[in-house]
Amino acid sequence: MSAPAAPEGLAARAHPFTPLVVSLAVVALAFLLPAPAGPLLLAALLIIIAILGGDPRALIPAAWLAVPFWVLLFILHALLGDGPMRTLGPLTLSVHGSALALTQSGRFTAIIVASVLVIRGFRPGRFVDAALEAGWPWTSAYITAATLNAIPRFQERAVRVQEAMRSRGLRVRGTLITRAKAFVPLALPLMLGALHEVDERTFALATRQVRAEGVSRTPLRPPADTALDLTVRWGAVLAVLGAIAWRFVA
Amino acid sequence: MSAIEFSRVSFRYPTSGPVLRDVTFEAPAGRVTWIFGPAGAGASTLLLAAAGLAPGLTGGSLEGSVRILGQDPGSRSGRGAVQGKVAYVTATPYLQLSGMAESVFDEVAFAPANIGWDRARIEAAVPEALARLGIGHLADRIPEELSGGEQQRVVLAAMFVLRPDVWLLDEPTSALDGTGRELVRAFVRAEAERGCVVLFATEDAELGLALADEMVLLDEGSTVARGIPADLLGTELMWAMRAGSTGVGELARAANRLAGERAAHLAPPYPLTVEAAVERWR
Repeated sequence: MSAPAAPEGLAARAHPFTPLVVSLAVVALAFLLPAPAGPLLLAALLIIIAILGGDPRALIPAAWLAVPFWVLLFILHALLGDGPMRTLGPLTLSVHGSALALTQSGRFTAIIVASVLVIRGFRPGRFVDAALEAGWPWTSAYITAATLNAIPRFQERAVRVQEAMRSRGLRVRGTLITRAKAFVPLALPLMLGALHEVDERTFALATRQVRAEGVSRTPLRPPADTALDLTVRWGAVLAVLGAIAWRFVA
Repeated sequence: MSAIEFSRVSFRYPTSGPVLRDVTFEAPAGRVTWIFGPAGAGASTLLLAAAGLAPGLTGGSLEGSVRILGQDPGSRSGRGAVQGKVAYVTATPYLQLSGMAESVFDEVAFAPANIGWDRARIEAAVPEALARLGIGHLADRIPEELSGGEQQRVVLAAMFVLRPDVWLLDEPTSALDGTGRELVRAFVRAEAERGCVVLFATEDAELGLALADEMVLLDEGSTVARGIPADLLGTELMWAMRAGSTGVGELARAANRLAGERAAHLAPPYPLTVEAAVERWR
């Protein structure tokens, strides 16, 4: 059974609230900053943070998610768009459509890279301890952590199911038709297995006192909330407020 | 007072027919009781009902009375009264990890932290629990990266840390190698000697024979027989129920069937261990 990779990068080292606040700010800024330069620069900044922050591998799943959007937006807006046209080599592109495609691609990319960095760097135990220190109720902290942790767990399970099905002769790679044929044999055990896992985990957690009543959970190792974390979080909030103010003024 | 009492318990899941039918038995403290039957007999469901998880979390309906340490584990007050006193372990250790811990130490500390123990108490209790299961050297490892056998011992330690009075074990050694099985067997026996009630389900007749003081035979959700494992496992009832027996018991029965009426010394009750077979057939 494959174990999950240990979280890497700035998001894993920072106080758990910091990457969450920053990623929410990224979502807001992607739509508030002037287009198309703003979203594109934001995306570029996040790519640099991924590389310099110690988790360049985050860009691989991010690219798998973002590239299809780029292609789709380019076809829809730049190639099929109307208004003034400009010829670029063999292609005739809509000027307005190209700008729109760049803007939306930048937004998607920024949001996707930020989300992937947060999910890959997420450490549920640290998050729960940080949330308890901040006064969250235990169940809210646990449910939030479990939800954010569900994506990597689901991915692990998908890999296990895929390996099991390939060992039974299912072809999961190749042409689009081959992949489409493999979808049902992969999806069905994945979903049924996930439901079974939820049952088993619920039983296990119940007997380990997740539902204990009348007591406050003890945070085991609350992470340090450093001055740098606070600065980054407040910086992100101020950046969003500044962008909102700019939108009103401009 | 028995630590676990089932009185005329019937249970069905929301989408199934009856899984338990009119089950009555008691499991006293200080003894190991084995629930045995063919696949689908209802042993796992019986443990879920004892833990208060069925129908509480599974849904379905339960008739009759389940008492554990004198409380109804399905009621809110009963659950509160037995909080931390009932350990439940299944055959899939990977699914019993909290998913919240970055180390085995934190995994074992999960339940004590949930019931509000202070850090000093947790820091003292966890190493003791790890040592008890022979996994002190794994304290800093990531639980998800351990082997199935190691994870099973982590799960047991994560329950033992609360010093439960009741152990409900569903195929507790399924992921273990020979050494791990022996360790868990010794651990369970020691827990019974500490005064705990142990109720476990396994289809491994060798394990049941070695571990249990008493067995409850289930078939299609009903109690068929109760008794000492050594007395029941060698009888034809086990094959009539399709439950089977130990490896030696299976062999002895096959020999009896081949020999027919010519060999009275091969007749049931069959020997269950190599030692018993040598003694009988010498």
